[in-house]
Amino acid sequence: MTAGSKILETDSVTMRFGGLTALDGVNYSVQEGEVRGIIGPNGAGKTTLFNVITGELKATSGKIFLRGTDITSLPPHAICQEGLSRTFQLTFIFPEMTVYESIWVGVNSRARRPWNPFILAHQAADLSQRTQEICHLVGLEEKMNELASNLSYGDQKILEIAMALSTQPSILLLDEPTQGVSPQETDNITEVVEKLSRKMTIILIEHSMDVVLRLCSSITVLNEGRVVAEGSPKEISKNEEVQRVYLGEMS
Amino acid sequence: MGGRFFSLLERNSSTAHTHRRVRRRQPRLYRCLSLPDILTTILFLLVNGLVWGLIVALIAIGLSLIFGVMGIVNMAHGDIYMAGAVLSFYVTGILGNFWLSLILVPAVVLLVSAPMERFVLRPYEGHHSSTMIATVGISFIIQQIVLGTYGGIPKKITNPWPISFNFLGVDYPGYRFLVACISVLILVGLWLFLYRTSYGILVRASMQDREMAGAMGIDVSKVLITTFVIGSVLAALGGVLAAPINQVFYLMGNDVILLSFIVVIIGGLGSLKGTLIAALSLCSVEGVLASVLSPVQARAAIFIVMIIVLIRRPRGLFTE
Amino acid sequence: MTDRLEPEMNKRSEKPTERRETPKYLVLLFLLLLLVMGMVLPKGVRSLVTHMMIFCILAMGYDVCFGLTNQCSLGHAVFFGGGAYGVVLSMLHLKVGILPAIFFSLGAGFILAVIMGLICVRLSEAHFVIITAIFFAVFHLFAMDLTWLTGGDDGLSLKLPSISLGSVTFSLYDPMVNYYFVLIFLSVSYLILNRMARSPMGKIFVSIRENEKRLQFLGYDVFRYKLIAFIVSGLFSALSGGLYALTLRYGSADLFSFHWSIMPIVWCLIGGIGTLAGPWIGVVIMSLFQYYVSAWWTYYLILFGIIILLILRISRKGILGYLISRRFT
Repeated sequence: MTAGSKILETDSVTMRFGGLTALDGVNYSVQEGEVRGIIGPNGAGKTTLFNVITGELKATSGKIFLRGTDITSLPPHAICQEGLSRTFQLTFIFPEMTVYESIWVGVNSRARRPWNPFILAHQAADLSQRTQEICHLVGLEEKMNELASNLSYGDQKILEIAMALSTQPSILLLDEPTQGVSPQETDNITEVVEKLSRKMTIILIEHSMDVVLRLCSSITVLNEGRVVAEGSPKEISKNEEVQRVYLGEMS
Repeated sequence: MGGRFFSLLERNSSTAHTHRRVRRRQPRLYRCLSLPDILTTILFLLVNGLVWGLIVALIAIGLSLIFGVMGIVNMAHGDIYMAGAVLSFYVTGILGNFWLSLILVPAVVLLVSAPMERFVLRPYEGHHSSTMIATVGISFIIQQIVLGTYGGIPKKITNPWPISFNFLGVDYPGYRFLVACISVLILVGLWLFLYRTSYGILVRASMQDREMAGAMGIDVSKVLITTFVIGSVLAALGGVLAAPINQVFYLMGNDVILLSFIVVIIGGLGSLKGTLIAALSLCSVEGVLASVLSPVQARAAIFIVMIIVLIRRPRGLFTE
Repeated sequence: MTDRLEPEMNKRSEKPTERRETPKYLVLLFLLLLLVMGMVLPKGVRSLVTHMMIFCILAMGYDVCFGLTNQCSLGHAVFFGGGAYGVVLSMLHLKVGILPAIFFSLGAGFILAVIMGLICVRLSEAHFVIITAIFFAVFHLFAMDLTWLTGGDDGLSLKLPSISLGSVTFSLYDPMVNYYFVLIFLSVSYLILNRMARSPMGKIFVSIRENEKRLQFLGYDVFRYKLIAFIVSGLFSALSGGLYALTLRYGSADLFSFHWSIMPIVWCLIGGIGTLAGPWIGVVIMSLFQYYVSAWWTYYLILFGIIILLILRISRKGILGYLISRRFT
């Protein structure tokens, strides 16, 4: 992991839905090893940016580069195989599968033959080992055999992160990981993200300024589909335009 | 029919329209080309197809409403059409007047379908596969009841208006013309209800987003019952209108159900206008094709075209 | 690769796997029961059970498509009829024996499934249902129309040669032989499909059912897996069609009728979808019902419809699904 190289870069990305311009010429880049926050009022285009980067939406114009490779028109599963992984704002899990199985599925996708019909799933030792490791890393090892739908909301958010981790990403996109979660669980999640930030690049969409200030090395502010400001947390919190953007939203 | 196509001796036997034709006669050079048999046959089949298309439009729009608002894949819809035809048979037989069934049959269907939606179908709504199989069960029940009472022999209702019109050189049955008029009236009435009354707006809102509608205080239960009743009445009226044209048979619903689903999908889920256009186009094309192919082959050809259309434009032709 | 963690891990992952399938030992017990029953059943019932076993293969095949990957196809009559005609036409025109004919039916099923799958699988739910239904309708129409090929409604009859394995010859005309012939195929089919369900591929199928879109973001080309599931489903459905033609010594356009498209769904929803052997319960209930009730009431289909409504009301996952969820909540 060479610090200082650009791992993700968007080049004039525009996303239009009919008459609505969700993203307008966004030039955005992330250095390897960073923890980059993205903040902005609702409807600023944060999740849309994630959707475009991960291949769920095709940008109306512009390009996206992952470590120099053009991933603009790749389908989501190919982008994931390139090492980019994401979580979803509203938990998007496998309801009737256990925590272990949910993580296992992601781990399996990196196996040499994920579609192998000849072995029994639980016999793949390397996969189960890696699955267990991830469970430990996020702190879910006691709940491994719980059904995903039976978990508390905070634990489901952690499971989201664990699932995104399972595909061995080098860059992780987290979409509001602490949204709707109790303060204690927020601390939990923040700890996990901190642990992860030492191993991989992270881009974090967040509304909670506490989390952002604690975790991020730099912050991008989006408003109405455009990058309004970029800089260190200190710079951003003092930026007048940012304050206007947020105050304007609240009035 | 084949030999007549290029005959120069057409039009000699008819009386009134020969007279009209003489007035509009082209120069001698083109006499063999002016409205030859092939065109009149095609015109006849085309208009026939359009009339049938209007009936199918009624059925398909009913299906689309039921699916759109309630999430029910109604496999029994064809059997409601059949029930309408059977009921009109009884009304014509007992009361001697076919046209009364246009009033009585919807009344009966209303009385049966309202409780059916509320008590039988409500629990399944929203789960497509369950509703599909549940309505298959209902389809069995309806078919067997009809089989037991009406019998398994196809019967015909005598033509309620045995007059022929002449239109562009074609002898056209008056009854089908009436069917077209009545169907258009029903469709206009439906449009007025959906787009001009406040209740209709509620129905359309529920079609767009049921949860939102409920959250806005709309009595969703009443809307569900109303929609199901309207959808069923449309299908039943289609059956009544179709009864003198096709034979009334306890399995006649099966002919119509797949065609209706296709029409709904081609037209675009949620677009009633699209459903209407799709019904008219599909049935007229099928009608014309039936002149060169056998009816079975014409139906198969339409289906194959549908596969191709849906591959190229999966969202239907008119999705909003 | 393996260390002390392994056995513990195995035990812990064993439970979740077996929770959502019919316990394997129960199914093996049932197959054993069938083995024994074959020798003691009276002729009429034995014939009924032979038919039921064939339907179990069809139901299981359909469950791979519907229960495991949540693709509700209305077109499986194409595979059933295709498999049947694979057997009939190959035996009539190519004069092959019984076992090669079965290969032909599997081949027919494979080709049909690939064609249909490539067209249909990438469509969304409602479109998938309709286009598979259109395929069924087209095949049914052609089957009835092309009487020179298919015999139409009247159908084509078969004369079955004997099968010889070494020095022993069997004839399927012997109902006992027919019974065990089908039972072998049922058992082998179950073992294959069960193994597949417990393999990584099976897990991927289940994940498709649980949350298809999420799976894409975990690096899987979901279309490819749905297609594989569809093809496997078509293969086993065609196998059951071939066995049916052999058992009846006859194939007709009726084998393409809507009945064969809709009954697998009924069996799965009543028996328990996604459990592979759960639909067998559906087959047993519906077949017994049809056999016995149709004898004393011509309009038994009314009760059929009522049963369907009742069972679906109680549990959308079918009887087995209901029992399983009761055991674990």
